[in-house]
Amino acid sequence: MTDLETITKPALSDASTAVARPVDGASTTRPALKRTWLAASVAAATAALEACGGGGGGGESPAASAASGGSPATGTGGTPVAGSSTPTEAAGGAAGPLAQSRTFTAPANDFDAARFLLQAQLNASDADIASVRASGYAGYLSKQFDTAGGTTAWDWLNQRGYAAIDANNFYDSTYPADFAVWRQLFTAPDGMRKRVALALSEIFVISTTGITVTWGSHVVAAWWDMLSANAFGNFRKLLEDVTLHPAMGLYLNTRGSLKENAAGRQPDENYAREVMQLMTIGLVKLNADGSVVTSGGVPVETYGQTDVTNLARVFSGYDFDMSGNVNTLVSGRNISTTAFAQRPMVLNAANHSTLDVNFLGTTIAGSTEGNAARKLALDTLFNHPNVGPFIGRQLIQRLVTSNPGPAYIARVSAAFADNGKGVRGDLGAVVAAVLLDDEARDPAGTTSGTFGRLREPMLRLVQWGRTFGVTSTAGSWKIYDQSAPGQLGQSPLRSGSVFNFFRPGYVPPATAIASAGLVAPEFQLVNETTVSTYVNFMQNAARFGLYSSGPDLPQAASSSANGYDMAPAYTVEKTLLTNAAALVARLNLLLAAGQLSTATTSLIVSALNTVNVTTTSTDAVRTARMGAAVLMVMASPEYLVQK
Amino acid sequence: MNKHASHHACPDAYPADAAAAADSPGRRAFLRRSGQLALTGTALPFALNLAAMGEAAAFDASDYKALVCVFLYGGNDYANTVVTYDDASYNSYATIRGGSGQAGGGIAIAKSALAPTLLTPTTPLADGRQYALNPAMTALAGLFNSGKAAVQLNVGPLVVPLTRAQYGSADRRTYPLPPKLFSHNDQQSVWQSSAGEGATVGWGGRIGDLALSSNGASTFTCISATGNAVFLSGQSALPYQVGTSGAVAVNAIKSNVFGMAAVQGTLSTLLQQSRGHVLENEYNKVTARSVAAEVQVSAAIGGSSTLTTTFPTGNGLADQLKVVARLIAARGALGTRRQVFFVSMGGFDLHGDLMTQHPVVLGKVSEAMAAFYNATVEMGLADKVTAFTASDFGRTLASNGSGSDHGWGSHHFMVGGAVRGKAFYGTAPTVSIGNSATLPADQSHVGQGRLLPTTSVDQYAATLARWFGVADGELNGILPNLSHFGSASYPRDLGFMA
Repeated sequence: MTDLETITKPALSDASTAVARPVDGASTTRPALKRTWLAASVAAATAALEACGGGGGGGESPAASAASGGSPATGTGGTPVAGSSTPTEAAGGAAGPLAQSRTFTAPANDFDAARFLLQAQLNASDADIASVRASGYAGYLSKQFDTAGGTTAWDWLNQRGYAAIDANNFYDSTYPADFAVWRQLFTAPDGMRKRVALALSEIFVISTTGITVTWGSHVVAAWWDMLSANAFGNFRKLLEDVTLHPAMGLYLNTRGSLKENAAGRQPDENYAREVMQLMTIGLVKLNADGSVVTSGGVPVETYGQTDVTNLARVFSGYDFDMSGNVNTLVSGRNISTTAFAQRPMVLNAANHSTLDVNFLGTTIAGSTEGNAARKLALDTLFNHPNVGPFIGRQLIQRLVTSNPGPAYIARVSAAFADNGKGVRGDLGAVVAAVLLDDEARDPAGTTSGTFGRLREPMLRLVQWGRTFGVTSTAGSWKIYDQSAPGQLGQSPLRSGSVFNFFRPGYVPPATAIASAGLVAPEFQLVNETTVSTYVNFMQNAARFGLYSSGPDLPQAASSSANGYDMAPAYTVEKTLLTNAAALVARLNLLLAAGQLSTATTSLIVSALNTVNVTTTSTDAVRTARMGAAVLMVMASPEYLVQK
Repeated sequence: MNKHASHHACPDAYPADAAAAADSPGRRAFLRRSGQLALTGTALPFALNLAAMGEAAAFDASDYKALVCVFLYGGNDYANTVVTYDDASYNSYATIRGGSGQAGGGIAIAKSALAPTLLTPTTPLADGRQYALNPAMTALAGLFNSGKAAVQLNVGPLVVPLTRAQYGSADRRTYPLPPKLFSHNDQQSVWQSSAGEGATVGWGGRIGDLALSSNGASTFTCISATGNAVFLSGQSALPYQVGTSGAVAVNAIKSNVFGMAAVQGTLSTLLQQSRGHVLENEYNKVTARSVAAEVQVSAAIGGSSTLTTTFPTGNGLADQLKVVARLIAARGALGTRRQVFFVSMGGFDLHGDLMTQHPVVLGKVSEAMAAFYNATVEMGLADKVTAFTASDFGRTLASNGSGSDHGWGSHHFMVGGAVRGKAFYGTAPTVSIGNSATLPADQSHVGQGRLLPTTSVDQYAATLARWFGVADGELNGILPNLSHFGSASYPRDLGFMA
């Protein structure tokens, strides 16, 4: 058990008794936190977190502490109150995402809960809001870490017949991967895991568009399942799985990379460069708070071309694992079975470089066995001090805010460096640190002029689908690549390049964002065309749902069943249709955590009330009101910017 | 070699009506700023100088001119685009790229396949050097040989002129390098703006700044028909993005929503109003620009093209260039006299599958640029519109087995009636991956055939900007490193524009 770190701000709201959060049953005792409160307002509470998650990674355990006081406590003191020193217990040496103790305010109302949920996962349902309010933020997280994910993308493809070798040529099609991933995002029970997996897919980028291989859909589905599985696991394992995955092998050319030869041939440098630049350490040395290390006023670069050339040797000699493969002859072409698509690539020593590797100060002798060399190389990257701030900042940007303060980044870096149990790279702990941080939870963020992030188009669509019960009636989930600017403008796993849809450092030129020295990554997707097509897309979707061509067919073909196979249920919302104010209030809570101002909701309600809707109104009138209400909320800037 | 090594001042570089220009608001502002600059000296921050120069250089054009940047995303493999052809250099190329003599193989193109696209410059290159284009680029080879296109050899970002020894020097104060060489996103940004990722001002936008006063509707000065790119952002000029079918309306603002006029009005307000939150406000500003511009663009270009020139289909770059041509055709209605356009194509980061994929993308570039040139002929503007290519970087000459890796310098194309075509500009690099410090043959690259540029992007840009109408004295304000060039080997004007 290592450092016990309390993260406090001097002027948080008011006092309460620290509440010990779920602790593993069999445990040792250690002193918990002590903090001094400056009284400010009522109805705020704190939770001092202790460990959860024992070695077995089982479910939530009952609190075993002697802490008194229930959850969200309130205090009314007008004077500083000393927090109690509460003995709590923790699992002996076990790692766990919530091992690091932390204090923060508890959700005071549904808006707070929804705000947290919309940072942490893909939507905020009534049940989730209630759960957050009952369990507190940390209690909710601890449950999410263990929520099962349902059918994997891989299994769904197979259940839907996409592994069949038939006239549909599914082995040459990539659209089944789109269907599988969209379906997961719309329906998966583990929304938080999927949200983080989606964020990881924007750091460890492959694009379905670039997976041009037999069974490309299976390769992509396996990749997505791999990211999901590792979302709360250890970064080192994620890095290993990414490196050996057929999808990355294809996308950044490690598959088939050959060792040097006498003519001057050299191992492919693609993955070696990008794994450093984009997936682990970045181009310049960073302090733990994300600030750039400079020398003589100039940023210090992390690596040079020589490091790339050397590291490329480590990644030579890999190819698909085709063991046990059975080919099927189709029109003179051998079609393999799908198994390779899910297996780590394997090393063929004959194609592996025999040269010494010198990179980032590590030397790996050319005689080192290939797998051992890879371990040394990935360990070197994993242990580089840049990884915490480099990855931590990007996860903050994907979940919470585009411009986190240095102290926020430093706290997340610290969680990366040590999850509270001496373990480096615990992504669950990093995610918890991102979401439970004061800067994320501070209500001031909702009134700041700069806090937050532009919601990505794909997250808007998924949020809409999950919030309003969209499901594929036929079960086919035929949502294709939506990245064309005439469509949604973004689609999961369909980035144009390994540099993602947008860069973490993107600055929209000639804006107040630029002159304020801020970044706004998602604005790389914003221009005169995409702002229009998004609203046009939602105008149709909000009222009717998503149109499917041939929903009764697995292949890309039309049928007599063409129609809005994926329509919103609007179950609860329909009961509010005759009360525009109540309807808009609900949409504001679920979609925007109440962040639409009264001025905006008033405008929306007034517009809706220009057409009277009663219990006897026609379906057309009713769906028009529902569609217009959802459209106005989801098009408004106060919704588009998640705060 | 530099075909036109000496400074070549172009008459069109100056406003057609000098008297009018002298009285223009921009000119008066320049005089004021000049005084301020004189008082405060020249040690102003670069950005402030730029801002001052922005007003300084404004010109009022009476004719029409357009620059079109064709950006090849991913870093184009120079060696298989403009392919060395004379026997001596071809044989070296084939050996390095894993070929079997002149039959090609590995990632070397067979020599016989190159004959139809052999380039025949008016003035042959020194030392018997010859080049052919990739066999897929027949259309562009035709434009070159008919005098409508030229090739700039080995151009890339430089801060100062460099030799290979200087590149390897530890003295980075005397021999500074462009930031973050070999990195895609940064070199894209460096090509477009002279600075790495995060830059907010590009040279296309800076040229646009100077042209704003020439245009009735300043919105249409800098137009992208592809995604966002820093190239088109100036101090004042904002990039306007247009779809390949024209401007896209926000339907719910243009028409009533599900029969409810009030919803249309409310959305019009909500989506365009000023907001206190900086992200909300900038998002709404884009929407407001989109809504206003759509009305003008749709009225100006109509529902379909009035051009008879055939553009290839299934070619995204051609789709973009077609809408550019339609916008140029509508210049009267849009009130534009000086425009900078940006179009792009991806698919050039060919670490693998070079021999199968590269001809596909190069063929599209060739067909699209030729169609666009034909459209400018149809409009009677062939000598008023200049298209040029750019890319992240060149690639290694060395092979990795099925492709090539990130490099630096590369060869690029200039196409248009004002281009002094059927000619090579710059210096033909030696064909070598050798690393001797003394052999002249090994000095063209910095390892594995990553070309050390012998012409800087700033020189390339300055030559284009001068033709566009930017005065010589104002080029340094647009191109921050241009002042480090100007010798006979690194002229400020490369001479490829008439």
